[in-house]
Amino acid sequence: MKKRDAGAAEPGGGARRRGQGELEAQVLAAVRAAGGPVTAGGVRERLGGDLAYTTVITILTRLHAKGAVARERAGRSFEWTAVADEAGLAALRMRRLLDGEGDRQAVLARFVTTLPASDERLLRELLARAEEPAEESAGEEGEEG
Amino acid sequence: MGVFVFLPLVLPLTAWPVARLAEHHLHPRAATRLLTAVAAVLAVCSTLCLALLMVVGTAQLPGNPLPDTWSDPEVRAAVPYDGIAGRAAIPALLALLAVCGRVLLRHRSVRRRAARALAGLPDTPVAVLPDPEPYAYALPAAARRSRGRIVVSRGMLARLGPAERRALFAHERAHLAGRHDRLLLVAHLAAAANPFLRPLRTAVTYSAERWADEEAAVRVGSRRVVARAIGRAALASGGARPAVLPAFAVAGPVPRRVAALLAPPPPPRAWPPAGTAVGLALWGAVVGVTVSALSSANSALTLYAVLKATTPL
Repeated sequence: MKKRDAGAAEPGGGARRRGQGELEAQVLAAVRAAGGPVTAGGVRERLGGDLAYTTVITILTRLHAKGAVARERAGRSFEWTAVADEAGLAALRMRRLLDGEGDRQAVLARFVTTLPASDERLLRELLARAEEPAEESAGEEGEEG
Repeated sequence: MGVFVFLPLVLPLTAWPVARLAEHHLHPRAATRLLTAVAAVLAVCSTLCLALLMVVGTAQLPGNPLPDTWSDPEVRAAVPYDGIAGRAAIPALLALLAVCGRVLLRHRSVRRRAARALAGLPDTPVAVLPDPEPYAYALPAAARRSRGRIVVSRGMLARLGPAERRALFAHERAHLAGRHDRLLLVAHLAAAANPFLRPLRTAVTYSAERWADEEAAVRVGSRRVVARAIGRAALASGGARPAVLPAFAVAGPVPRRVAALLAPPPPPRAWPPAGTAVGLALWGAVVGVTVSALSSANSALTLYAVLKATTPL
C-alpha cells in the first residue's frame, strides 16, 4: 500500500475507481453520524467493517486534504471530526475541479464566462437598460456602484 | 489536379464569413446546427486529404510499411511537391491525432470528475452546492440511463431574484434537452483537426448559449428577465480581468448575449427569405461552403481513385 498524502491516493482493497466518490461520501457520513471525534477504527466499525483499515485511513486523509474533515492527534493515532456535510463535500470537490481545469469551459458550458473590464462597463449599461421599466425590482438589491 | 489537392486544407477559411452571418441573422438554433455541421464536414475532408497526402508522399520512403505502388510516379504527378507535402503531412497528422485525442480525454475526465464530485448526493435534477462562489452549469448525462443534471452554487442563487433563477434553470435545461454538449464536442474536435476551423468553434459555443437563452426567454415569458439573470450572474462572477486592448476590444460573449435579449426576438423562421439582402448573402455564403466541402470531398475522392487505379490490390 503506497502512502501518499494528497487526494491522488488510491483506495486499497477491492474499491473500484468508479465508486470513489460514493466511498468518500459514505465515510464522511459515518464520521458525521459519530457526532464527535472518532478514530479510524470507529469509522470502520460504523461502516460495517467491510472496508480495509488502510482504505478507511486513505479516504479520511483525502477528505482531510479536501477540507471536509478535521483531525486531531490523540495518542498515536488521529481522531476525526466532520467539518462539512455531503453537500459540502460535493461543493469542495466541484470547486477543485472548476479551479483546476484550465480549459474546462470547453466541457462544462457555464452559465456565464469571465468578464474583461471593458465588458463589465458595457454590461452595466445594458443592465441599467434592462432594469428601466420598474418590473417587480422593488425588493431586489441594486448591484450598481 | 494540381494544387487543388491542397484545397481541403485551406477551404475551412471560407467558413468564417458564414459564421459571422449566421451568428447575426439566423435563429440561434439554426445557426448552431448549421455551423456544427459545416465544421464537421470541413474537418473530415481536411483530415482525409492530409491522410492521403501522407500516403502518397511517403510510401517510397525506406522503411515505410506502406506498399511502394501507393506513391507510383503517376500518383505523385497528381500531387505537386509530393515529397515535401508528404513528409510534412506525417507530423501534421500525428499532431492532429494527438490534439483530438487530448480533447476527447479531457472531455471524459472532466465529465467523470464532475459526476464523481456529486456522488453521495441525492439524485435530483438540480444539485445545489453550498459554495459562496457563484457558478452554474449543465452537467450532461454520463451514461445512457442517467439524466443530465443542473449544478448550481448557493452563491449564484443568492445573487438572483426568483424570476431570474427560473431563467437560469430554463437556460441550463435547454442545454440538457438539446444535447448541446454533443454539438460543442463536435465543434471542438473539428477545431482540433484543422486550426482554420477555430472561429467556427467559437461561433458554435456562442450560438449554443444564445439558443439556450432564447429557449429560456420563451419558457419564462420575458426576454428582459433572462437578460437580467445573465447580466447579474456575470457581474457576480466577474473577477474583472483587465482587457488586453480596451480601445479595440470587441464586446465579449456575455454583453452580446444580453444585448441580443434586449433587442427584438429573432424571427422564428429558421431562414431569412432569399429576396432580402441578408437572405441573399446567407445563401451565397452557404453555397460557397457547400462548394468548398464538395471540392474537398472531390479531391479526396480523386486522390483515392488515382491510388486505387495504380495499386494492384
